[in-house]
Amino acid sequence: MSVVADPIEDPRRALRAARLSEFRTFVRRFLRNPLGVIGLIIVVVLILVAISAPLIATHDPYLPQLAKRLSAPNPEFWFGADELGRDIYSRLVFGSRLTLFIVGLVIVTSAPIGLIIGAISGTYGGWLDRIFMRITDVFLAVPKLLLALAFVAALGPGIVNAALAITLTAWPPYARLARAEAMVVRNSDYVAAARLAGASQFRIIVFHIIPMCLSSVIVRVTFDMAGIILTAAGLGFIGLGAQPPLPEWGAMISTGRKFIFDQWWVPTVPGIAIFVVSLGFNLLGDAVRDLLDPHLRQRR
Amino acid sequence: MSNLVDIQNLRVSFRQDDGSYNDAVRGVSLSLGREKLGIVGESGSGKSLTGRSLLGVLPPYARITVDRMEFDGIDLTKASGRQRRALRGGRMGMILQDPKFSLNPVMQVGQQIVEAIRIGDRRISGGEARKRAMAMLESVHIREPERVYGLYPHELSGGMGQRVMIAMMLVREPDLLVADEPTSALDVTVRTQVLSIIDELVTRRGMGLILISHDLNLVSRFCDRVLVMYAGHVVEDLVASRLHDATHPYTRGLLACLPTIDGPLEPLPTLNRDASWAAA
Amino acid sequence: MIEIEHLTVRFGPSTAVRDVSLTVQDGESFGLVGESGSGKSTLLRSIMNLNRDWDGRISINGLDAHSTPRKRLAREIQMVFQDPYASLHPRYVIGEQIAEPMRINGMANAERRTVELLELIGLGAKFRFRFPHELSGGQRQRVSIARALALSPKILLLDEPTSALDVSIQAEILNLLNRLRRELSLTFIIVSHDLAVVSYMCDRLAVMRNAEMVELLTRDELRGRDIKTDYTKALLAAS
Repeated sequence: MSVVADPIEDPRRALRAARLSEFRTFVRRFLRNPLGVIGLIIVVVLILVAISAPLIATHDPYLPQLAKRLSAPNPEFWFGADELGRDIYSRLVFGSRLTLFIVGLVIVTSAPIGLIIGAISGTYGGWLDRIFMRITDVFLAVPKLLLALAFVAALGPGIVNAALAITLTAWPPYARLARAEAMVVRNSDYVAAARLAGASQFRIIVFHIIPMCLSSVIVRVTFDMAGIILTAAGLGFIGLGAQPPLPEWGAMISTGRKFIFDQWWVPTVPGIAIFVVSLGFNLLGDAVRDLLDPHLRQRR
Repeated sequence: MSNLVDIQNLRVSFRQDDGSYNDAVRGVSLSLGREKLGIVGESGSGKSLTGRSLLGVLPPYARITVDRMEFDGIDLTKASGRQRRALRGGRMGMILQDPKFSLNPVMQVGQQIVEAIRIGDRRISGGEARKRAMAMLESVHIREPERVYGLYPHELSGGMGQRVMIAMMLVREPDLLVADEPTSALDVTVRTQVLSIIDELVTRRGMGLILISHDLNLVSRFCDRVLVMYAGHVVEDLVASRLHDATHPYTRGLLACLPTIDGPLEPLPTLNRDASWAAA
Repeated sequence: MIEIEHLTVRFGPSTAVRDVSLTVQDGESFGLVGESGSGKSTLLRSIMNLNRDWDGRISINGLDAHSTPRKRLAREIQMVFQDPYASLHPRYVIGEQIAEPMRINGMANAERRTVELLELIGLGAKFRFRFPHELSGGQRQRVSIARALALSPKILLLDEPTSALDVSIQAEILNLLNRLRRELSLTFIIVSHDLAVVSYMCDRLAVMRNAEMVELLTRDELRGRDIKTDYTKALLAAS
C-alpha cells in the first residue's frame, strides 16, 4: 500500500487500525486467564444491574410495608424483607448504583490527581519532588478509614462527602507509583530525543512520561476498586456514608445487624453482594496486572 | 576417544500467544571431545538455547525434543532432575555474558566461590573452602586474591567479574565448560586476557569447551572447531583454522560484511538471506 | 563545524572528561574511540547539552552550546542513540515519533516529510503505523536515524550506533549512514569502542582513555600504522 497522494482520512484510519489491533491482542491475552474473565463478568453484571435497576427490581426500594417486615425469602420478596418491610432484592439492585457511583467518583478524581502529582514530582526531582512527597507521606501516614472518617466528620455525612473523603485518602499511592515510573522514564533515550528536538517540560510530562505511568496506575485502580467498596461500606456501616433511606450496601448491613441471628438474610445478603463485587474487582485487577505490569513482562 | 558430549537432532520450541509453537532450534546435532568447539550465530540463531539445553537450564515453557543427548556416556534425556543438578556445576559449568547479572549482588565474591565449593562437598570445613577459593582466584590471575575475596560484584571491573565467574565455575573441576558470550560485555583489551585464562585452564585440565559467540573471528582464533548456526540450524561445521575456506553462503556473507581496519571503503557487502538456509 | 575548547566534565569527585579540545570540520566524519569509562559518550552528550555541567567552550556552527536556545540548536545538530530497543517510545507509532520533532517546531507538512524520511532510510511509508515492538533492532535504528534527520540538521552525533546490532545488520546501517552523509552533506561524530567500525566510517579519529584524549590521528595514519601512543597500539593489536 504505497501512498503517493494521501487523502486526509487514510492516515487517521490507519492509525486507528494500528491501535485497534494492539487492543485486540490485549483482549486475546486477557481472555486466556479464566479468573480474570470471571472477574470481568462479575463487574459487567454489576454494571448491567445498575443500569437496568428500575427494570429488574420487583418492588420500590423505599416503600415500607410494615405488615410484612422481616419476611423470609419467598416468591414475593426474593431475598426477604428488611425491618421496614422493604424488599431486600430491590434495595440490593438499586444499591448497586450507589456502589458504582462511589467507586466511579473516587477513581475519576483520585487516580488523575495522584498520577499528575507523581509524574511532575518524578520528572522534576529536586525541591518540588521533596515537597510533594512529604505531603504524600502525611496522607499515607494515617490509616485510610480513619482519615476518611475524619474528613467525613468535618464535611458532614452523606454519600458525596463520603466519596470525596475516600478520594483524599486514595490519591497518595498513585502519586508514589507514578513518581517511581517517572524517575525511570525521564532518563530514557526517547525522552532525551524529545528534549533534543526542543520539547517543553510540559510536553514531555504529558505525552512521554504519563503514558508510561498509566499501566501501573490502571493496575492499581482495579485493585483499589475493591478497597473503595469496602471503605464506603465501612463508612456506611458507621452511619457516616450514605444516609437512610438510601439502599447503600454497607448501611444495609449496619441497620440489619441486629437481626443476624433470627433473620440472617437482612444483613447477610448485602454482605454477600459486597464480597462478590470486591472479589470480582480483585480478580479483574490480578488479570490486568498480569498483562500490563512491566515487571512481570518476562514470562511468555 | 569417546565423546564428552553427543547431541542428535535437538529441537527447542516456545509456545506463542496464539497457541502455536515457534521453533527456535531445529534439529541441531553436535559432538564434542575434550576440545574447544565454537558455536557462532547472530541473535535468533538458537546458539544460546543449544548450550542451555545441554545444561538443562531452559525456561519451563520451552519444549525440547532430542533423539540423543549424552554427556560422557550418561543419557541426559533419562536423567532425573536431581542427577542433572548434580552434573551441573559438578561436571558441567556455564559462564554467561555479564558478570553483573550472574553474580549475587549482595554477597562477597569470595563467599560465592565458597558456596560453589560447598555445594559439591558439604563436609568441607570453612577454612579449607576459603583456601581453595583463594587458590582458584590466583589461578585466574587475580593478583590480590585476599582483597578481591571480600569485594562485592559491583566493586569489580568487567574483566575481574568475569574472572571471578570463571573461578566459581571451575572450582569444582568440571569436565565441560559452556561459555555463552563470555567476552561480549568486556573491553577489547580485556577480552584477550580473559580468553587466554579460559584457554589455559581448559587445556591444563583437559576440559571440553563450548564457546558460544556472535564474533566469528574471535571464535576462529580461539577454538579448534566451529559450528555456524542460522535460524536454528547448523549450516556449517569447520576446522577453525580453515574458516576462510568456508563454503556456505551465510558464513561467507558473515565474514564479508565485517568492516576491517585495513579493508576497502566501499559499501560493505550485505547478507542476502536466502530462505533455503532456514529450511528443513 | 564544531569547535570544542578545553572541555572538562566532572560528576562530583570524579572527572569524566578532562581538558579535551578538538575541531570537526563541515562534512567530516570524525570518530571517538575508547573503552568503557574513557569519557567518549559523556563528551558526546555534553556537546548536545544532555549533560549541562561542563566547563569550557563548545561552538556549533558558530552558536554557543550553553547559551543558544534548544530549539535553535535542534536544527543544527541531533543525536542517534545506542540502544535501538530503548530509543523509541513504546506507546506511539513510528510515524508519530518521526513527526514529533517537526510538530514541536511548528513545521508544516510533517506528514509528507515523514513519508519522505521513511523512504530515505529504506523503510516504506506503511511503517508509519507500526509500533516499535513490531520492528527488529535494525529497523528501529533506522527509525532513530529518521527521527534525528526530521529537522534537517547538518550534524549528527552517533553514540555506538551499531553496538547492539548483529554484524550483518551493522553492515546495512553503516552503509545507510554513509549514503545519507553523501546525499545530505552531513557531518558525523561517531563514538565507538570498535576500531574497525571507526576506521571504516571516519576520516579522522580521537582516541580517549581515562577522560583524556591521548591521540588524534587520520585514517591514513591508522592504516599506515603511524601511531604515536602505546595505548592506541594496544587497542589496534586487540582488535
